[in-house]
Amino acid sequence: MDMAVESPSTLGNGDSPAAPTASTPAAAAVAAAAAASPPSSRMLQLAESLKLEHQFLRVPLEHFKKTIRAHHRCAEKEVSAVLSSVAEVADRSDAMSRDDAVNHLSSLVSRLQGLKRKLEEGSRAENLQAQRCRARLDHLDSIDVENLTEWSNTRLKRILVDYMLRMSYYDTAKKLAETSNIQDLVDIDVFLEAKKVIDSLQNKEVGPALAWCAENKSRLKKSKSKLEFQLRLQEFIELVRADNNLRAIQYARKYLAPWGATYMKELQRVMATLAFRSNTECPAYKVLFEPMQWDYLVEQFKQEFCRLFGMTLEPLLNIYLQAGLSALKTPFCFEEGCTKEDPLSQEGFRKLAAPLPFSKQHHSKLVCYITKELMDTENPPLVLPNGYVYSTKALEEMASKNDGRVTCPRTGETFNISELVKAYIS
Amino acid sequence: MELNTIKDAFDRVAKKQKLSCSKTQEVIDEVGREIEQAMAKMQSTDNGSGCSDQKSILLELKTKLNEMAPMNQLEGSQRELNVGLVKYAKILEKCFNPDISKAYRNVDFDIHIVNQIIASHFYRQGLFDLGDCFISEANEPDATALKSPFLEMYGILEAMRSRDLEPALNWASKQSERLLQNGSSLELKLHQLQFVEILQKGSQNEALQYARTYLAPFASVHKVEIQKLMACLLWAGRLDQSPYAEFMSPTHWERLAEELTQQFCSLLGQSYESPLSVAIAAGIQGLPTLLKLASVMAAKQQEWQAMKQLPVPVDLGREFQFHSIFVCPVLREQGSDENPPMLMPCGHVLSKQSIAKLSKSSTRPFKCPYCPLEATVGQCRQLHF
Ligand SMILES: [Zn+2]
Repeated sequence: MDMAVESPSTLGNGDSPAAPTASTPAAAAVAAAAAASPPSSRMLQLAESLKLEHQFLRVPLEHFKKTIRAHHRCAEKEVSAVLSSVAEVADRSDAMSRDDAVNHLSSLVSRLQGLKRKLEEGSRAENLQAQRCRARLDHLDSIDVENLTEWSNTRLKRILVDYMLRMSYYDTAKKLAETSNIQDLVDIDVFLEAKKVIDSLQNKEVGPALAWCAENKSRLKKSKSKLEFQLRLQEFIELVRADNNLRAIQYARKYLAPWGATYMKELQRVMATLAFRSNTECPAYKVLFEPMQWDYLVEQFKQEFCRLFGMTLEPLLNIYLQAGLSALKTPFCFEEGCTKEDPLSQEGFRKLAAPLPFSKQHHSKLVCYITKELMDTENPPLVLPNGYVYSTKALEEMASKNDGRVTCPRTGETFNISELVKAYIS
Repeated sequence: MELNTIKDAFDRVAKKQKLSCSKTQEVIDEVGREIEQAMAKMQSTDNGSGCSDQKSILLELKTKLNEMAPMNQLEGSQRELNVGLVKYAKILEKCFNPDISKAYRNVDFDIHIVNQIIASHFYRQGLFDLGDCFISEANEPDATALKSPFLEMYGILEAMRSRDLEPALNWASKQSERLLQNGSSLELKLHQLQFVEILQKGSQNEALQYARTYLAPFASVHKVEIQKLMACLLWAGRLDQSPYAEFMSPTHWERLAEELTQQFCSLLGQSYESPLSVAIAAGIQGLPTLLKLASVMAAKQQEWQAMKQLPVPVDLGREFQFHSIFVCPVLREQGSDENPPMLMPCGHVLSKQSIAKLSKSSTRPFKCPYCPLEATVGQCRQLHF
């Protein structure tokens, strides 16, 4: 029963039907800040946040490029095969009956027709991907001070889908994308390609991963990727594990030797397993036979995959969360009376923030204990005779309800409003 | 950022892609046509003398296809498209930050903690199905803490949307005392709303009964409101034409739903906003500054990974200001228990250490650095924000 789907929740959702205007305190504060700060600085901040969206545009572009390349390669292969087949018939035509020659040519024509159909389909796929690239640009362009709350909600959902996909929580990713109708703004299909490889590696099969390496050979070579070598090593280890020594040596000659120049040390170490076998207790070799090597391969593959598509290696969520926690982290967050609205009042966030640096301030920023509003020139801080400071707004409201008397909420002392003095804080 | 230029650049790429597609199709058609023509020629020659003709037709076809150079044609259109794609990728790289992980500190977040935070986020947003799906997929069975309380809350809000106050009133009366402690008159407001509903249905008597049972206990504290409400009794069934028509405004329902949400979260010990939304939003505002800093400090990776405090301020909007932070304008240092803010008689505020310095360790009066007034240490008072 996802109530929030039919009627968005009132929580953190400015677009909720129960609260059509900026309903949440933060949304109100955003709106207030937008009104207070000059629009140019507000727009500047939005522009800065848009600059973080490289991956959002890059991934569909890489996907688009990949599709184009695959179709082009297919066309090249087929046309070139047809050409050489024609040449062959022409050269052997003496030994061929007319019917045979005609039949042969006719088979080439239908081969070309098949290619055409395939490319037509391919071109439709390319168009869809081009549309997706364009839709993302349009989405970035749609950000505005007016729809900021909604736009930011969508951004958080995008970040969460990214997290789910990287952690292989595909069902949650799909569900979140579908219920929020943001399929074009997330990269589920890209990650489903990775899923096939990851699943097979988890089943201890290297085939699909090697096929993936072959598909992306030139680009992996350019980035000096080691993945294929590592996959080959693992296959070799499996042969040693099975005591298939002759085949292991053949395999090494064929697939490992070419990497010798680059990774001599690792090659030697792995070859040594032939002498030690899989039940070795020698730690340097024992580790090579452990099942965690496969997890390691999964991690390696994920990294290469992300790199190829221009993604960050870390989930976006981790990157933003880390930056946010660092920017929010002050010594006061860890004090007893820390407000619940501060994420760092919660144990989980505190643990995540523990290894992160504290934020730094160059100027005082004072928040009224009573109203939680900023105390600035418009709402200046007032000092009670006991040294406690609250905002003018809060104290004046209190005084107006109590015949000019104010009560310090932290000590319980009461004073006359005339006893208060202004503090100037630069 | 010039998104329009980027869009134009992409549109040019998309155009080239379409062009390349149709070019490829053309090339294939042309090759096919040549082959078909050769076939037709071969079939039209008479069977007996065919041999040499057949050979010459086939050789002619081979030559023609060679001259046509279809492979070159395919490559040519593809090359042009590639140039466009590379150019566009470069534009993206220039206009956007190509690697936002540059400021990332290499610490591994505990996956369970992150997953629990996400599960709580889903539940508190009312996304119960999604939360359940996530919990089973991520195998975090212990992350359901917020599910049942928020199920209750969304149940109450759902009922309110269909103008049923019963669940809300039940909850408020159970929490009556704690609400009062919070300084909230939510319970009274809910009863008011119910009273107006009854009145609007036209039952004066029932409304009176209701008022006596539920509103009277609040009369001592909320005199004015209760008087107004009782006056409404005169307009039972036609409240919309009364001076009190405002009581019927649907905004009361909306505002009350919001207040209920606020109080519900507060009594649960939860924030009103999802903490995950807040932390991520802060990250999006703060990251550009951190990235600039990281690129300046690129040579000092070690320092970046080890620092205890960011070397520059990261300015966040006021919605992220949860604590009062006093920075001594003289020392440029954050105040602390050892070095608290002090108010001088002129109203300016400095840190205790600054004042000690200015007064030569309290030995003599000193001039405020911000105005012409003099002060002694004895006249200064410690402030608590
Ligand atoms: Zn002064």
